[in-house]
Amino acid sequence: MDIDTEVLPAYARGCAVLGSGGGGPVSITRAAARQALEAHGPVRVVQPSDLDPDALVMPCGNVGTSHVAVERIGGVAEASYLRDAVEKLHGSPVAALMPSEIGGANGCAAVAWAACLGLPLVDADGMGRAFPRMDQTVMELRGISPTPAVLCDERGRTVVIDHVDGRWLERLVRASLEAFGGQAASSEYALRARQVPGATVVGSVTRAVELGRRLPDPLISGKVAAVEQGTTLVEGLGGDAGRLVRLEAHNEYLAALEDGELLAAVPDVIAVLDARSGETVQTDQVRYGMRVHVVPLPCDPVWHTPEGLRLAGPEAFGLTGLPVRTREAGR
Amino acid sequence: MNVGVDVGPTNTDAAVLDETGAVRATVKVASVPGDPVAGVVAALGALAAAPAPVAPPGTFAALATPGTAATSIDRISIGLRGAARAVAERDRLCRVAVLRIGGPAAQAVRPLYGWPADLLETVRAGTAIVDGGGGLSPEDWIPLDRDAVARFAARVAGRAEAVAITGVFAPVDGAQEREAAEIVRAELGPLPVSLSADLGTLGLIERENTTVLDAALSRFARDTAERLAAALAGAAVFVTRGDGTLMSLEYLARHPGLSLGSGPASALRGAGVLAGLDDAVVADVGAARVRVGALAGGFPEEATRGADVGGVPVGFRFPELIRVARDADPGELAEAVDRLQPGADRLPLVVVGGGAPDVPDAFFGVPDVRRPEHGRAAGAIGAATSPVGGQSERIVRLDDRTRLPAELEAVAEEARANAVRAGADPRHTRAVEAGSSPLPYLPGSFIKLRARAAGPPSRL
Repeated sequence: MDIDTEVLPAYARGCAVLGSGGGGPVSITRAAARQALEAHGPVRVVQPSDLDPDALVMPCGNVGTSHVAVERIGGVAEASYLRDAVEKLHGSPVAALMPSEIGGANGCAAVAWAACLGLPLVDADGMGRAFPRMDQTVMELRGISPTPAVLCDERGRTVVIDHVDGRWLERLVRASLEAFGGQAASSEYALRARQVPGATVVGSVTRAVELGRRLPDPLISGKVAAVEQGTTLVEGLGGDAGRLVRLEAHNEYLAALEDGELLAAVPDVIAVLDARSGETVQTDQVRYGMRVHVVPLPCDPVWHTPEGLRLAGPEAFGLTGLPVRTREAGR
Repeated sequence: MNVGVDVGPTNTDAAVLDETGAVRATVKVASVPGDPVAGVVAALGALAAAPAPVAPPGTFAALATPGTAATSIDRISIGLRGAARAVAERDRLCRVAVLRIGGPAAQAVRPLYGWPADLLETVRAGTAIVDGGGGLSPEDWIPLDRDAVARFAARVAGRAEAVAITGVFAPVDGAQEREAAEIVRAELGPLPVSLSADLGTLGLIERENTTVLDAALSRFARDTAERLAAALAGAAVFVTRGDGTLMSLEYLARHPGLSLGSGPASALRGAGVLAGLDDAVVADVGAARVRVGALAGGFPEEATRGADVGGVPVGFRFPELIRVARDADPGELAEAVDRLQPGADRLPLVVVGGGAPDVPDAFFGVPDVRRPEHGRAAGAIGAATSPVGGQSERIVRLDDRTRLPAELEAVAEEARANAVRAGADPRHTRAVEAGSSPLPYLPGSFIKLRARAAGPPSRL
């Protein structure tokens, strides 16, 4: 598969859905990807087996906050600096890029950078969705070292972080971000093509395109009846009349509950879509009266292992005492 | 006596209010397509002929004759609605030189990317991205590439009729935009120059689009201001703006984009004035569609996402509106009314507009429906009763929270100064709102401060 300007809208929509209400808005990186695809041609999406087993795969994305991302929209330069630094540190050429995080803005940023650098994109990512922490990746679960990791900006200012584990990576990156003015391009958990199948979420680029074309049925369709400090109530309408679903959110939508039962919870994805426009609704955009569809999507099974849940389950987000899940999401 | 005029696409409404704010007469005349000033003159003529003795005979007719002073009219406030149409119809738009300051930090999406092709052809006189720009902290700033600005100005000389300058993080500090404007003026002479820091908040692409449209509307706004001044010589003339306040004709000529969205804004304000409510949902029933909006504290609720002018995403301060076709399923109308509530059935609904009598209460799906007298002229009444406004917004780093009151005071003072520049009487202009909201997930404590000021229109 190629990602070209025809496929991009579906891919971007899929990335937004996989953001689970977070991961940053896709509008700017989608436009950046479109401009890059128009200028440089389609991006080839490759399977790990298409690459030489020892080929270097560079995970990449932006870290920081959307308040900075909407001003410092970046471009080509940071991608080149990032690639050059990774090649120097790992002693081999980068054969393909991989989104660190498919969900939200970073899924499209990886396409823009791949187009600008003339490199293919591996059909995989580190999370299968969006997560707030850099170490919430399958690479971390599988023991791939996050370092040497690179942070750089569009002027080539570069920080290399080495000899740390995932938790320390997160700590050093957050500290460096202040000096970077709140945003940097980053690459960590670099890996070889042969490691990709066992240590990433394989197929996530394809999945994003498919989700962008067709979403599964919603858990509930209705109206946002109340929004209070991280809790959103959705009152069912039409076929769902009489139902009331509670969504818990913090950066992302984290849990959906009904009648004391858990319908879906992180690490699974919970997407909220505006029923009128079909656009995803980020956690900070939800407000009273919106007509929405709540769509749960299963995450990669690796996140439901004990180690996966420790790193990115409800308790990692401070959600304790959730009821045990008794029914399958998606009806 | 205050006169308000609302120039709609089909009809032009006018209303005259006495010193107590009571409505003395309203009229409706057909609008003159493409000529809002003619519509205003026609409406004033019709007011003169209105059955109620609202003014000495001949007053309004005299207004239509240039050079004649009006004695009993204190001011005429006009909702033009023409700017959005000018963009939609590519009417009298200036060719704009678009300068972006940001260097490598601002390349991913180029200026005017995604604009409709014909609008792009009409408006673009050249684009450039030059080095400079900054961040949230003073140490993030890169010096402006002054030579590149001068080269760009030389390149567009003879083609550009207006200039739009947008710098990365200009809402935090607009100094580089002003520096670039000076260089451009030195090269090109006194062209209209729009600066993004005056027009919007964080969000480079939308703010830049806003700035370009503002610059593109320069000729339309100047023409309109000049023609109104000539047609209504002797009267104090104000026009409405998108945030529901008024501005002088001179201010319109300098800040053309501010009038975008002004039609719905003055209808919302008029509905609130007529119903005696500061907080309400408003349905403005026109010939073809119903516009539903909301008032909070007497001013229109602003759209938080997705405002669009002529196919271009912008960051202008527009009222949040849901438009529903008149012949749509009544359920759609009820849904729109519900969506603009802050919570279920919390606010009354005020129904205004020429088509209001044709829509039964039951269609709106709320228990408390108000239909004030003179509601069909809500836009004109909103124009007549609105204050002159000014706004100010700043993003500041505030690690020391005790400085908050002083920072808020400074922003409120700037809003006050902006209101006075827009034509408010300085003796009676006050800050009506000053608030702060944190910007989350940033290193350091950054907050957005925003203030709004209002004062009565000054005759000076």
